Amino acid sequence: MTTSLADHLRSLPDESLAALLQLRPDLVVPVPADVSALAIRAQSRVSVARALDGLDQFTLGILDAARLTRHPDEGTTATDAVLAMATTGPHPPAPTAVRAAVNRLRALFLLYGPEHALHVVPAVDEVSPYPAGLGRPAAELDPRTAALCADPAKLRRTLLAAPPSARAILDRLAAGPPVGSVPPGALQAPPIGAQDAVLADPTNGGAPTGSPVRWLVDNRLLVSVSAGSSTASGTVELPREVGLLLRRDSGPLGPLRTSPPPVATAPREPKAVDSAGAGQTMEVVRHTEGLLEQLAAEPAPVLRSGGIGVRDLRRLARTAGLDEPTTALLLEVAYAAGLAGELEMPGSTTGRYGADQQVLPTGGYEVWRAASLAQRWEHLAHAWLTMTRQVGLVGRRDDRDRPITALSAEAERAGAPATRRAVLGVLADLEPATAPTAEEVQALLDWRAPRRSRGREAAHREVLAEAAQLGVTGLGALTSYGRLLLGELTSADEPGGDPLGLHVDAESGDPSSAARALDALLPAPVDHFLVQADLTVVVPGPPEPALAAELEATTEPESAGGASVHRVTTASVRRALDAGYTADDLHELFRRRSRTPVPQGLSYLVDDVARKHGGLRVGSAGAYLRSDDEALLTEVLADRRLESLTLRRLAPTVLSTPYQVSRLLGALRDAGYAPVQEDGTGGTMLSRPRIRRAPARVAVTTRTLDPLAAPKLPMPRLLGVVEHIRRGDAAARAARRAPAVVRGGAAGLGGGPVPAHTHSEALAVLQQAVRDKALVWVGYVDAHGATASRLVKPVSIGAGYLRAEDERTEMLHTFALHRITAAVLAD
Amino acid sequence: MSGGPLIVQSDKTLLLEIDHPDAQACRMAIAPFAELERSPEHVHTYRLTPLGLWNARAAGHDAEGVVDSLIKYSRYPVPHALLVDVAETMDRYGRLQLANDPAHGLVLRALDRLVLIEVAKSKKLAGMLGDKIDDDTIRVHPSERGRLKQALLKLGWPAEDLAGYVDGEAHPIELAEAGKDGRKPWTLRSYQREAVEAFWAGGSGVVVLPCGAGKTLVGAAAMAEAKATTLILVTNTVAGRQWKRELIARTSLTEEEIGEYSGERKEIRPVTIATYQVLTSRRGGAFTHLDLFGARDWGLVVYDEVHLLPAPIFRFTADLQARRRLGLTATLVREDGREGDVFSLIGPKRYDAPWKDIESQGWIAPAECVEVRVTLTDAERMSYATAEAEERYRMAATARTKLPVVKALVDRHPEDQVLVIGAYIDQLHQIGEYLDAPIVQGSTTNKERERLFDAFRTGEIRTLVISKVGNFSIDLPEAAVAIQVSGTFGSRQEEAQRLGRVLRPKADGRQAHFYTVVSRDTIDTEYAAHRQRFLAEQGYAYTIVDADDVLGPKLPTVD
Repeated sequence: MTTSLADHLRSLPDESLAALLQLRPDLVVPVPADVSALAIRAQSRVSVARALDGLDQFTLGILDAARLTRHPDEGTTATDAVLAMATTGPHPPAPTAVRAAVNRLRALFLLYGPEHALHVVPAVDEVSPYPAGLGRPAAELDPRTAALCADPAKLRRTLLAAPPSARAILDRLAAGPPVGSVPPGALQAPPIGAQDAVLADPTNGGAPTGSPVRWLVDNRLLVSVSAGSSTASGTVELPREVGLLLRRDSGPLGPLRTSPPPVATAPREPKAVDSAGAGQTMEVVRHTEGLLEQLAAEPAPVLRSGGIGVRDLRRLARTAGLDEPTTALLLEVAYAAGLAGELEMPGSTTGRYGADQQVLPTGGYEVWRAASLAQRWEHLAHAWLTMTRQVGLVGRRDDRDRPITALSAEAERAGAPATRRAVLGVLADLEPATAPTAEEVQALLDWRAPRRSRGREAAHREVLAEAAQLGVTGLGALTSYGRLLLGELTSADEPGGDPLGLHVDAESGDPSSAARALDALLPAPVDHFLVQADLTVVVPGPPEPALAAELEATTEPESAGGASVHRVTTASVRRALDAGYTADDLHELFRRRSRTPVPQGLSYLVDDVARKHGGLRVGSAGAYLRSDDEALLTEVLADRRLESLTLRRLAPTVLSTPYQVSRLLGALRDAGYAPVQEDGTGGTMLSRPRIRRAPARVAVTTRTLDPLAAPKLPMPRLLGVVEHIRRGDAAARAARRAPAVVRGGAAGLGGGPVPAHTHSEALAVLQQAVRDKALVWVGYVDAHGATASRLVKPVSIGAGYLRAEDERTEMLHTFALHRITAAVLAD
Repeated sequence: MSGGPLIVQSDKTLLLEIDHPDAQACRMAIAPFAELERSPEHVHTYRLTPLGLWNARAAGHDAEGVVDSLIKYSRYPVPHALLVDVAETMDRYGRLQLANDPAHGLVLRALDRLVLIEVAKSKKLAGMLGDKIDDDTIRVHPSERGRLKQALLKLGWPAEDLAGYVDGEAHPIELAEAGKDGRKPWTLRSYQREAVEAFWAGGSGVVVLPCGAGKTLVGAAAMAEAKATTLILVTNTVAGRQWKRELIARTSLTEEEIGEYSGERKEIRPVTIATYQVLTSRRGGAFTHLDLFGARDWGLVVYDEVHLLPAPIFRFTADLQARRRLGLTATLVREDGREGDVFSLIGPKRYDAPWKDIESQGWIAPAECVEVRVTLTDAERMSYATAEAEERYRMAATARTKLPVVKALVDRHPEDQVLVIGAYIDQLHQIGEYLDAPIVQGSTTNKERERLFDAFRTGEIRTLVISKVGNFSIDLPEAAVAIQVSGTFGSRQEEAQRLGRVLRPKADGRQAHFYTVVSRDTIDTEYAAHRQRFLAEQGYAYTIVDADDVLGPKLPTVD
């Protein structure tokens, strides 16, 4: 007797149900109404595919075994049968491992039922049609093939007779998948070895010496499954029996591996890994800052199709001294981190929204810049981990052969964060400082979740390359701080772990553990430098903010990295003098900060520049006022109404004000003068470029790690969901139990008008029930004319309405009395 | 954090803190693969270049070792990308090999088939490669050997040349270490011996030795090793005669065996010394002296001052790939950036002087460099201010105000030999008259020149005024004081030559002085700033004084 999954689920204790929901969280979105709905959803193709996606290679193999060992009639299998099949190969896995895998599958309810009669959820067959890469049984395909398969000796003989080219095809199909497409006409070509093979027409797709596929089909080892016309490309399938025979050496399931493939590479020195990674983090932060400064100086226009143009990217790459892929990566990361954003271009010609936009640093960039190096890096790395962008696509071409540009919608991939987490997860699960090759990482991913990793090899490689580029890994191994960052992100994804938000870190401004770990690896800021006779100033480490400001004011940067080299030039000294330093200040500055004696050349340079400094005087004024009439100017200067303009007399015929022309003009006119604005040529109008920033954007980091992943629910909530489902289930069951008179309602009486006596009877019952506070089944016609029934406890009757309480929902319902068709006391 | 002496910058410069206790060890470790760029007093700057890394690779260092020493001595974490880049760059050398196949002659052989496929498709190699012998081997015509190496280097896949050399016409040459013609016996210094051995083992290549370390002797020893006819290419005639003198004194060669091939004489003998100038002179657009390369079956070609090698010589050298080539230089840095051609055509660096020897050469301020700033008179200032842009430098440099300062400087060193160097003939004549000193200029005949130099050497003449002709390869060992009044600050390397000749360590350890007289607030000062930077980068002490301090009465000193 087969029991349905729903019945099975219903019979489970609450904890088991909750465990299922925990393992397959997609089942509770939205919360199913009752157990039947839950069962249906658990067997749906989508949900099953999702569950299968998360399984490792071995467990999938065991599931395949379960499918292959199903009894042809009853469709059930037993753990022992599965075990027997899984251990037939030359390297049988340990029975405990097989049992554990079966238990995993049962916990997921991909298998259900007692051990001796396990059911496989039918959707599994839909999701992956060929268990263990084996075809359908011959009986399902072709009776003649079935006849051949029924005779093992003959089958074997036929196999041995296969020509080498045909055998190669068989072996390929036996390794799975068991179907292959053949070129059009191949099946019409004469079989290999046939008399007329040599004369075959080479244009028909078959080789002139005959088609091995045709041979195989003719000899019933392959079955042509395409029903199309003879010219269409066909499909052939390898029957299960033949496939099993071909797999004699490796076991019916193919090679099974209970544990992930080992990593052969020797682990590196953890310190070297961290050091290389930390070095890279400094680079990343510095380059990102350089890029954003570059964007601030010359914003990149947004293309009409979105993203920024190839030429702009190239320009940015060149000025930042990076290659284009790296530039694209850093730009995308900075954008995802909320450090860059779009702004309407000034003087935009069209009014259309988003027509003329450019990419600029945002206000958030200023905040970011003020943070410590480690925090800045963490912000970037966090954004990288969570951003739904596949940067590797930038620079390639899309389906329509158009280039994919940076920041464009074409590079958007919702699965990117999950891919990153999967790849880094593989690294994190290895011993610290293990640096597997890209192939080994791929092999590990293939084992862990073959259904998910298939076809994503390129994306995985990209993740590894990007992780190295961003300093998340060093020398190919996950760094200690990278591990912490990954751990923080993963734990942040589990609200159950921290329901009250006790461990808020990023928002409160305290550095996270990852940032702290990185901070310890980065060089400590220094407060001194070394001055040399060639007028270079070497800061042997990252400068303190105060020192950095002093250097920015007095020197030109020359080389950056762990340390920085600056050069004192005539221009830089002049700039410092302009900025308010005096010669003595500069001498004092170099003397105070330098660990080495200040070279005579430098002192001489400072004095020499200072001597000439100020020989010419330049001032800035917002506007000037000029008149040949000195008396008039004197009058204006003395006018008290114009005091606010703070006019200053530069020469007998010139006044100046710090305010802009418009204000000067307005004030003069208000005061009754008749000024005329002068053309700007020859004027001393100075303007300072305004720093423009795009409006602040919310960083992507505030999102959860993977928008696609279903939310993880804590146990109490899960139990709540279970209770809800249970109650729905009880109600549904109760609804089925309602008395016929109520259930049928008017329908039971042939659809005619409700007889008066029935109605009055019902009223009597209800009145009695109000008095007794008894439960009553009420049949009624709802607003849409449908009949319905409800188990309620009447509270009162009056004004043509019955007010009653529904026990299930604990809600008070109001029924119009004339709509009630029947009422029966519940027993 | 290791607290090492080295800071690795992301622009591939390495900063080495000299005062660090590990600085010496670190220098030894990085010298094979990093080029010293600047050596001021506290922090030396090295640069990682592909050529430097390939040189190291050719010398047998591997990427692992380079990365290790970077990490070992680095004070701060080294960026991962830089390490990857170093490893990848080094890995590119030697994937392709030029070899002699017994059956097919010269072939290009690949240790990495994909690289061969990649380069074979390149347009730059079109016509250089012959037919394919098998998947890993392509035939190469011997005449394309040099050009192919050049092109492969440009593609970033430098080939290792294992094709060997012809022996050339044998000629007995021995080092006369026992002393010759009554001279004292001598021996090759250990590093010279090592340099020759490294060169000989490598076949062809460049030996880098600082000025005065005896490069000529390395050349002589290499000739003694080759025992074959030798072509020596030098910068000019004076240098050529010096080679000749040295060879006669230090080897078994006699005057008759050594020929001079210059503007004056065209002798071709078993050992022939030719100047770059004569080889690159053209008549009617054609090089007229190319026959020299084929005049004999040379067994060895020596290039003196490789960093000055003119571009046409490279073209000739491309055809000389089957002959052993020895390059001698003090620096691999070339102004024209053709270090790559030196690498591919003459060969990788085979020997670099150990640090200790450079140190004994006195990288720490062997001379005192003083810049004297002269304030122009108001009249001079005014004419300078109104001068045409192209006349300005001349106006500033030849200001008459400089004359008394020069005289005062000469008088400061009554005991020393003084050279006054200038670029403008008129000015030099003025100075000559003012100081009553002879002048050596372009129009001075070689004979007169040598007479004056000899007189200067013996001390007959105390002060000599020379023009730009003195820039290259003149040997004035006892000039302890040089005064530069004008110059064309063209290339760093010209400056290096000019100063290097004068600033050699003196036999008695006297302090050498180098004065530059500069007009204040003019373009002259700007050139002087370049000079200051260059000298300071070389580690020379550099001070700037005002002319009044020189002219005025000496201030009483405290000590």
